[in-house]
Amino acid sequence: MKSIMETMEQGVLGHLMALERGGMGQQDQHDSQRLEMLKARAVTLRAKRDQIKQQTDVVKILKDKISKDLPLEDDAAAAGGFIEQQKSMLTAWRMQLKDLQRAHHLIGGYELVECKEGKSVCVSFHTAFEGVYLETYNMELDLTRTVQISRHNIPPSFPLESFAKQNLQKDFKAFLQTLSQNLNALAARRRQVCLLKELVGSVEVMESNQLCNILVLMCTAQSETPKAVLCTLEYGDLSQCLPTRVSIECEGFRVLNFKVIRSHDHYCVSKDERLNSIQISI
Amino acid sequence: MEQKYEEEIQMLQQEIEMLEAEQEETLRYIFMEHGDRLQRELKSVYKERGGAQKHTLSKLITETEINGITLNECFVKTLHKSERKLVQQLRLAGHCSVLLFQVEFAVTEIQEDDALLRRVTELNIVVDGVEFKDFSAFVSRVEDTKDLTLLFRTLRTFSERCEERRQTFQHFQEKYPDVVSLPEGCRSELMIIRSPQLPGISMTIFWKIDVSMEGVVKPSLELLLKMPDQAREFDTKKVMENGSDYFQSLLRVLGVEASIEGLIRTVCL
Repeated sequence: MKSIMETMEQGVLGHLMALERGGMGQQDQHDSQRLEMLKARAVTLRAKRDQIKQQTDVVKILKDKISKDLPLEDDAAAAGGFIEQQKSMLTAWRMQLKDLQRAHHLIGGYELVECKEGKSVCVSFHTAFEGVYLETYNMELDLTRTVQISRHNIPPSFPLESFAKQNLQKDFKAFLQTLSQNLNALAARRRQVCLLKELVGSVEVMESNQLCNILVLMCTAQSETPKAVLCTLEYGDLSQCLPTRVSIECEGFRVLNFKVIRSHDHYCVSKDERLNSIQISI
Repeated sequence: MEQKYEEEIQMLQQEIEMLEAEQEETLRYIFMEHGDRLQRELKSVYKERGGAQKHTLSKLITETEINGITLNECFVKTLHKSERKLVQQLRLAGHCSVLLFQVEFAVTEIQEDDALLRRVTELNIVVDGVEFKDFSAFVSRVEDTKDLTLLFRTLRTFSERCEERRQTFQHFQEKYPDVVSLPEGCRSELMIIRSPQLPGISMTIFWKIDVSMEGVVKPSLELLLKMPDQAREFDTKKVMENGSDYFQSLLRVLGVEASIEGLIRTVCL
């Protein structure tokens, strides 16, 4: 009996010990796998580093030769070396072209990409407001017979068809310019609404629309008893991001309507009937 | 043992980043300082395997023509480059028809989750040309707000209006050389109409192209009449007083070219 118990205990202990050994063995396996992985990665990186170092050396030699106005084809540039040099020159050229392209896009230029072997062209409009780059709108133009817009991601409330009708066939450059102007204005108005919501706590945006050309704001007027003032801003000119009319409503007061006009370096709102100007800084 | 490999991997990654940056800088230097030589050397290489470069180049040319902005110089300096952040300084110089510009600006790009945030952080603008007399207020405003894209949109429109003015002035000077004079050149805002038979009487057209702070380009024309004092006695119809208003009405009805032609014809008797 005792021996059976002993055997059983040994068995259980033994079993437990075997399990423990097995578990640790798994850990060991993991460890050695990880080690292999790290080793392999180190080898790859080492090879990459060596390759880049070699390329950099070739480029440095090229720079040296060009700076000293030496011929690029000489005895030192044996067959293999010369091809490396050519590759570097092409890379330099490619880099400059890429830089130029990027510069063009950063200054707000349109991006044109030919697709379907010349049968259509994709135009991208990058928008920005006060240095912050915003949405990019894309448009595909079908060129098979007449120029036609086939696809785009411009919001439906935007008067794209009317702009296309005006200029698309006659004056492509003017069409693109009008679109760029209006899309940038739209992005700017939208951004202003976002900024208003984020930064100005005392103003609540009650209503806005997709084109952001009507904005209804609830402001709190500073007086003995804070009063709620409802401001409605209308943006009559879609190519601009400043309002053309402002309407102010407050309980117990007459509704005031103003036209926004520009005077020297600031904007004034003036009553329709008389030119009483109130300066508003925007 | 593992740690040793991890350290080596980190060191190698840093070295690779450094080498790549060095290579990029050297390549840019080669192109900036010795672009001409490089282009010459590349002509032969081009013939062999122009391929992708030709495509990018022709695309760039098309985009330039469509945009109306030509970049002659483009210097890029990468100040910081990491997985999520890129800071670059750019210096561009070029022209938009005859208007020259030079801009220096810094761009920061931050990759945040699924959106790329890009913004202009510094901006310096230099514009050169006779036409830029009244442009400086707009330029200061744009430098403050860092609105780089507004600058170029406005520049494009402004240069188109300037070109219209220049062509119209030049056209009339060539057509009526005895009567029309451009004392400050065809790129200025002044045109004087004077008949050699009627000295002392002159009509000066001021064709101003105003640029607001928001980049709205507005051309406006004004007429200034000059007459010697003795002649004023004969001015019973008060042409001197009302001339400029009459000219505004004429502009509204006939447009710029026809109105100016009309004025010139009156002295070509």
